[in-house]
Amino acid sequence: MKTPLLAMSRRQLIAGVAFATLASTLPLPLVAEEVSRGGVLHYATLGLDTSDPHRHTGSIAVQQLYVEALTSIGPDGGVEPFLAESYEISDDGLTYTFTLREGVKFHNGDTMTAQDVVANFERVKENISGGWLASAMKLVGTVEGRDERTVVLTMTEPYAPLANLLSELWIVSPKSEGWDETITTPIGTGPFSFGEWQPQLRLYAPAHNDYWRGEMPYLEAVEANLRDDLDKASAMRAGEIHIASVPRDVAGQLGRSGDIRVSTLKDSTWYFVSFNNRNPRPPFDNPKVREAIMYAVDKQAFMNFMAGEDGVVTNQMVMPGHVYFDQELHDADRHAAPDLDKAKAMLAEAGVTPEEITIEFVSWQENYPQVVVQMVRQLGFKVNHVALDDLGAQNRLGQYDWDMNAMASGPRADIFLRFVRLMSDGPNPVLWGGIQDADLDATIKAAVAEPDEAERKALYLDAWGRVMDGYYTVVLGHAANTIAMREEVQGYEPGFTWSPNWATGGIAQTWLARD
Amino acid sequence: MTKRLLDLGYGLARMSLQAIGIVVLVFFMCRIVPGDAVDRLALEGNLTAAQETRLRAEMGLDRSLPVQFADWAGSALQGDFGVSLRYHRPVSEMLANALPSTLRLAFLSFLVGLAIAVGIAVAAVMTGSRWLAGLVNLVNVWAIALPTFCVGVIAILVFSIWLGWLPVLGGLLMPVMIIGIDNAGQIGKPLFEELREAATSAHVRTARAKGLRPWRIALFHLLPTALPVALAMSGLVLAGLVAGTLTMEILFGLPGLGSLMLNAIHGRDYPVVQAAITVAAVGLVVVNALIDLVHHTIDPRLSR
Repeated sequence: MKTPLLAMSRRQLIAGVAFATLASTLPLPLVAEEVSRGGVLHYATLGLDTSDPHRHTGSIAVQQLYVEALTSIGPDGGVEPFLAESYEISDDGLTYTFTLREGVKFHNGDTMTAQDVVANFERVKENISGGWLASAMKLVGTVEGRDERTVVLTMTEPYAPLANLLSELWIVSPKSEGWDETITTPIGTGPFSFGEWQPQLRLYAPAHNDYWRGEMPYLEAVEANLRDDLDKASAMRAGEIHIASVPRDVAGQLGRSGDIRVSTLKDSTWYFVSFNNRNPRPPFDNPKVREAIMYAVDKQAFMNFMAGEDGVVTNQMVMPGHVYFDQELHDADRHAAPDLDKAKAMLAEAGVTPEEITIEFVSWQENYPQVVVQMVRQLGFKVNHVALDDLGAQNRLGQYDWDMNAMASGPRADIFLRFVRLMSDGPNPVLWGGIQDADLDATIKAAVAEPDEAERKALYLDAWGRVMDGYYTVVLGHAANTIAMREEVQGYEPGFTWSPNWATGGIAQTWLARD
Repeated sequence: MTKRLLDLGYGLARMSLQAIGIVVLVFFMCRIVPGDAVDRLALEGNLTAAQETRLRAEMGLDRSLPVQFADWAGSALQGDFGVSLRYHRPVSEMLANALPSTLRLAFLSFLVGLAIAVGIAVAAVMTGSRWLAGLVNLVNVWAIALPTFCVGVIAILVFSIWLGWLPVLGGLLMPVMIIGIDNAGQIGKPLFEELREAATSAHVRTARAKGLRPWRIALFHLLPTALPVALAMSGLVLAGLVAGTLTMEILFGLPGLGSLMLNAIHGRDYPVVQAAITVAAVGLVVVNALIDLVHHTIDPRLSR
C-alpha cells in the first residue's frame, strides 16, 4: 500500500469536489504575475502557548511556521506525505514504513535523518503526557531507523487515524535547546525559523534559507501577532495585518472594503447541544425528554443566526461533502424542523411539567446559546442560564451539576479526534457531557482498528447512531471559520485546519504583491 | 520638620496598607473566579482527569489559599515573582517587557495633559479671551463625555484607515494624545478656576500695577498659587492612568502592563496577575507619596 505524493483517494475526491464547489463561490486570487520575493507577512490567527512543539496546548497554528511533520493534512482533509516522501502501511495495519524526503535541512544546517525522527517519537512517547497524541503513542510498540532515510514504526494494534495524527507530531532537531526538559529554542525544518518570541505579543520568524521546497519560502519573514485582544479588523484595514482570523460578521464588513478578500478554513466548526451524560438528574436522564426538548429547537433559525446563508443544518458531526457524512442519515433528521406541539405532547406523556422545572444551562459568553435557551423556554421550562468565560465554563462543566449546554468545536485533523471526545475515558469530554457508554467506546475502538475505509465509515456511523439514539449530544449545524486576507497576499488559501503550512500549499508558497 | 516627617510616615504607612489590601484582595478574588490554569491546559491540551489532578498538585494549586498566599508573598518579598503557569517564563521577565511600554505611555500622556491644561488655562486667564475660556470648557466636557476607547476607535478610523497617516499597531502618538487630552480635561478646568480667582488677588494686581510682563506674572505670581490644585488633580489623573492606558494598549496593540494583566486574568495565570497588580499598587503608592511630599514642600501651610 504505497502512498505516492499526489495520489487521490476516493475520500479526497469526494471531499475535494465538495470543497471545490464551495471554493468556486469565493473570490480567489489568480496568480498570473511573477512571484515577488521578500517582505514581511503579518499574520494573526491563534496564539502560541509554548516554545516546545511537543508540549503544545492546542494553539498549533503558529508553530507550524517553523516545525513540520512526517505527514500533513491537505485542504481536502486527506493526509499527504510531508517530511516523509512516502509511506507504506502493512496489510495488517500494524507496520508503517516511512521513506524520508532527501536533503531536508534543520534550521541549524543539519540534515534530518531517520535517527532524528526516531528521537522525536521517543520524546513524545516517553516525556509528553496529555494531548491528542498521548493515546496513539501508547499503541506504538517500536520505532527504529532502518537506514538514514527509512523509519519503521510498529503498532501493538491497528490504529487507522495514525497517519493523520502524525501530522501533529512535529520533527524537531534533538540539538534544540531544552530537549531533555522543555524546548526553549526549537530547531525545526519549516519554511521559517523560530526567531524572536514575546509571549502574548509576537513571534518574528525569519525565512529558512535551506528550506527543502525549492525556491520557497518567498517571504523574508513572517511576523505572527499573538495578542488575544487585538483589533484585527482595524489593523487589516490599515494594512498592518495581512492574514487574520476574524468573526463572520467582521469578515462580511471587511470583504466589502475592496482590498480584503475573505475565505474559510475547509473543515467546519460544529455547533451542538449536549445533555449532562455523566450525572444526569431526572427527568433529563430520559432520552424521550431530551428528544422532546430538541423538538423545540429550530436548527435552521439557529444556523441562520450563526452564519446566515453559509450555515449548514445537519444532524452529524461532519458536514455534507465530508467522507464520513451520510446523506441517508441526514435526510432522516427528525429535528430538521421544530415541532412544539409534539414536544409538549411527549413531555406530557413522560409526566413532565416544564413549569415546575428549572434547567441548569451552561455556556460560554457567546450570543448563540441564548438562542437555544429562548427556544427551550417556549416549552415552559425555567432556564437558569450561566454564561462563563472559557475557563469558567470548562470548570463548571467538569462538575457535572448542570443539565444542558450549547457549545461548538473546531476543525480537526481526523474524524477520530471528534469521536474520541465521546469516549468514556476520552480527553476533555465535558463539552459533550462526559458520555459513559461502554458499547459506544467499543464501536469507536472497532472503527479505529478497522483498516478498510468503507467498513470504518460504517462503524463510525454505528457509533454516531448510538449517540443520536441516546440524545447524548444533538448537532445543530456547521459553519466554517472565516479568514480575511489583504489583496497583496498571493498564493495563499486557508487549509483544512488552522495549520498555515502543508505539503501542497500554505505559507511557504505565499508572497506579497508589490504596488 | 518632625511633624512633616511624621505626616509623611503616616501617609506612607496608610498607602502601604492600601497596597497590601489590594494585593491580598486580588489574590483571593482571582481564585474565586471559576477555572484555573489547569483548566486552560485541559481546554486546549485535552487532559484526562488524572492528569489534571497531577498538574494541579505540581503547580501547587491544590493547597489551601492561605498557604498559597504565604508562599507567594514570601517569594515576592525576596523579589521572586515566580514563573508564569501558562508560558513557563519568569514573571519578572514578562513584567520587564511590559512595564517600559506602560510607563512611556503613562508618562508622555501625563506630560501632554499637563502641558495642554496649564497652557490653555494660563492663556485663558491672562488674555481674558472668551474663546480660550470656552476651549478650557470644551476640553473638560470632552474628557467627561467621550470615553477614550471611543475616541481611539474614531482616531484609528480617521488617521490610520482613511488618511493612512499613523499606524494602528504600536504607534504612540495617537494613544498619547488621546489620554493626554483626557487628562487635560480633568486638570484644566479646576486649574482655570483657581487661576481666575488668583488673578484677582492683591499680589497679582500689584504685579500688574508694577508693569511686569504678562508671562512673568503668569509664571511667578499666578502659577505658584494654582500649583497645589494642579498637583492634587495630577495625583488623581496618575492614579487613573493604569486603567486609562489599558484600553489604549488594547486598541493600539501596545505591549503594556494592562494587556499583560488582562490576558493573565483570562488565562488564570495567577503569578502574572499577582505580580502585575503588586507592581501597579506599589507604583501608585510611590507616586501618591511623591505628590504628597511635593505638595507639602510647595504649600507649607499643610505642614503647620
